[in-house]
Amino acid sequence: MISIKQIISWKTALFILMLLPMMLGLGYGLLYSFGVIGLLNTGFTTEHWSDVLLNFNFWKSLLFSFGIGLISVGISLVIALWMVVNWHHDLRKGKLSTLIYLPLAFPATVVGFFIFQSFSKTGFWSRLLYQTGVISEIEDFPSLVNDAYGIGIILASTFIITPFLSLILKGIFENEDVTRFQHIAKSLGASQRQVLVKITLPILLQKAKTSLLLFLIFVIGSYEIPLLLGRQNPKMITVAIVDKAQRFNLDDIPQAYAMAIVYVLFLLFLFFGFQRLAKLKTKAYA
Amino acid sequence: MRKQIGQSIVGFIILFPIVFLLILSFGKQWFYPHILPNLWQTSQWESLFSPSFQLTKSLGLSLLLSISVGLVSTVTAFYFSKKIAYSYNKTTWLSLAYVPYLLSPIIFAVLIHFYFLKTGLSGSLLGVIIAQFLICFPFGIIICSTFWTAQIQSLENLSSTLGGSSTQTLKRVLLPLAKSTLLLCFFQCFLISWFEYGLTHFIGAGKVKTLTVSVFSYVNEANPFLAALAGFLLILPSVLLLLANKKLIFKTSNKRPDYE
Repeated sequence: MISIKQIISWKTALFILMLLPMMLGLGYGLLYSFGVIGLLNTGFTTEHWSDVLLNFNFWKSLLFSFGIGLISVGISLVIALWMVVNWHHDLRKGKLSTLIYLPLAFPATVVGFFIFQSFSKTGFWSRLLYQTGVISEIEDFPSLVNDAYGIGIILASTFIITPFLSLILKGIFENEDVTRFQHIAKSLGASQRQVLVKITLPILLQKAKTSLLLFLIFVIGSYEIPLLLGRQNPKMITVAIVDKAQRFNLDDIPQAYAMAIVYVLFLLFLFFGFQRLAKLKTKAYA
Repeated sequence: MRKQIGQSIVGFIILFPIVFLLILSFGKQWFYPHILPNLWQTSQWESLFSPSFQLTKSLGLSLLLSISVGLVSTVTAFYFSKKIAYSYNKTTWLSLAYVPYLLSPIIFAVLIHFYFLKTGLSGSLLGVIIAQFLICFPFGIIICSTFWTAQIQSLENLSSTLGGSSTQTLKRVLLPLAKSTLLLCFFQCFLISWFEYGLTHFIGAGKVKTLTVSVFSYVNEANPFLAALAGFLLILPSVLLLLANKKLIFKTSNKRPDYE
């Protein structure tokens, strides 16, 4: 009797489970965006691609998402570094060591909802400021959600990322025995500032760079948070793609696929380009 | 003193959302500028004990979905992670395991939706389980790959040398040693599924009403009180998991795949 193992090797099975669905999806999207298949498509055309590539709003969405990602990761990094450098003992033992894990239990949907309910013009903080006399009417409270600068999205993303990043940096701090290096540098006459800039930060940042990139990609690709806290213009790229794909106008679907493919290529380029760059740098140092 | 103030602020930022959601879940009316709801109710919480209540159904459905995805992903990821760990192309396979993560689940859903429509899986629970599995499985491989070290390989060889069959080696050597990795993998996949909204909504076509989908439905219906209750139910299992063992929610970076 022939077993399944004999029919397909583990590599084939893994390829089918891990890569084939994505490749089929990209293939379908590519054919659809070039007008080869699809309900209203009539034949090969580059019209949808030129519509997307020459569309200012598409690039704006992509850059907006990238910018929001950079700012969120940047803020989280500063907070996490500050906490790890100053409170690494408290992050290991005591109340803070348990508390810091709690936000990891919050899904993006809940964080988005919480930020909306607390930072909108009718939210908790607006009410509190009104009751304490800091603002005299609802309009005095700044627009922090559904705003043009994506402040609400940045707040929510920072809330989600910072604890993760703190724990990663704390792990690096302990594994790399940064305290020992700090003591050596101090005993050799380095100032507090020199220890931070020349020892602590380079070790932490060097080891955390892949995680930082993954967080950046996570924010760029987030959907729930911009859906709740973003606005129509500028839109985060994921929301822009889904909006096009779900519209009643079927003519927009090929553009949605073209946008999705550009987005995927952008992220693959970002990830693998970064990996390659990091490898080249390591080789150059070696 | 400064440190204590700083840590109190961090503590407040972390705990405030939980308290806020809990308070809001008991609200009935919240007119501006009342800081807390001006009318309260307990009926929403009481309704949770009724099987016909939509949120109770969503809770059951989410549990069924996430447990299924967690179990299937963990078993398959454990099997394939071993194959990858002992193969020559380990680094390539592990790099490729990151690709579905890079894609963002909602974009993945947009791209593969056609095949789910064609097979009739769109709008069904099975369809959502399969779609979520495709996201969780590669992630499971990344987690499980940290288990297959040279030491484990030596123990496996030792068991074979001493006459143990492959089944005996699996049952008596590998599974007991892999218990914590398997639990970590299961809970991580469970949480990915539990937290997922975009892909679930898109592939489920709004028919598979999980808790995350319910939060959005209630937000769209301008019912923040039920949305808060659904949100509170969403964070409850992960908080309980965290209290049981925080290492199941997060693993520090000391055991990452070799290629990093």
